[in-house]
Amino acid sequence: MVDLSLDEDQRDALQELLNISMGQAANSLAQLIETKIDISIPKITSVTPTQLYSLLFETNNSFYTRQSFLGDVHGEVMSVLSRSGLNEVAELMEYDEPLSKEDIQEIILELCNILAGACLAGLSEQLELTTNLNMPTLFSPDKGNFDELQWQHSLVMEVQFVVAISSFSMRVVFCLDDASLSRIKATLDDLLA
Amino acid sequence: MAIPVLVADDSKLSRRSVIKSLPPELEYDITEATNGQEAIDALSGNTYSLLLLDLTMPEKDGVDVLRYLDERGDMPNVIVISADFQPEKHRIVLSLGAKRFIRKPLDKEELAMTLFELGYL
Repeated sequence: MVDLSLDEDQRDALQELLNISMGQAANSLAQLIETKIDISIPKITSVTPTQLYSLLFETNNSFYTRQSFLGDVHGEVMSVLSRSGLNEVAELMEYDEPLSKEDIQEIILELCNILAGACLAGLSEQLELTTNLNMPTLFSPDKGNFDELQWQHSLVMEVQFVVAISSFSMRVVFCLDDASLSRIKATLDDLLA
Repeated sequence: MAIPVLVADDSKLSRRSVIKSLPPELEYDITEATNGQEAIDALSGNTYSLLLLDLTMPEKDGVDVLRYLDERGDMPNVIVISADFQPEKHRIVLSLGAKRFIRKPLDKEELAMTLFELGYL
């Protein structure tokens, strides 16, 4: 069994690359809605599917999306978007109130594309990896399904965006399978050499 | 004479990338700070010609460091090197006295050009 835990330098490097990708993602959204976006310092943790479930879904009052990615590395991006503040963001995106169910769905998927998509793209680019992200889909988390996830002890890279003038926030979590994690570790080592 | 430089970034990878990107024509006396508070501590006891400053850092962030320098009134040449380059951030750091704002990932040429504009090269 290969050791898949990150050493301190690898973690630092991954965190910094993620930070750069988040900056790019936040800037795309900030330009679109002409509003400041606060970004958190990325958190990197290793969790089991059950821990992932509690990490993501302890909060009520959120929308959840997932999108898988393929290519040099495989995994899944899950996003948790707060219900609160979504109307203000929709207004900044020039949607008219009242929002229909379809509008809400469209806005959520758009935000996932902009933020989660840009994060993955930025990370892949800096690691010189090719990844293709599938379309996001809305889903309702069910604990049972999480036990079946293929990313046992997945590496979770968690970032948070907060839209300054509203109460809207979004968390993006990247889950990777073991082979992808080893590939990323090797790439980080090259970068650190 | 070596230029006293303070490099403030919480990421070791980033500090190393900044230090490696400094133009080799000059000599530097480099101090590293791993968060905003360490940067403020270093700045309070020493004189630096140049501060290469990240914004998103734990403890105190880069904006806090700029506020400290702004209040103190005595300011080295500050080049902000940050991944958070939204227009609003850009405006804030320049209004607090930073000379330039460079985006991460850092481009060597851009850093050299900036140092040239600031009269180092």
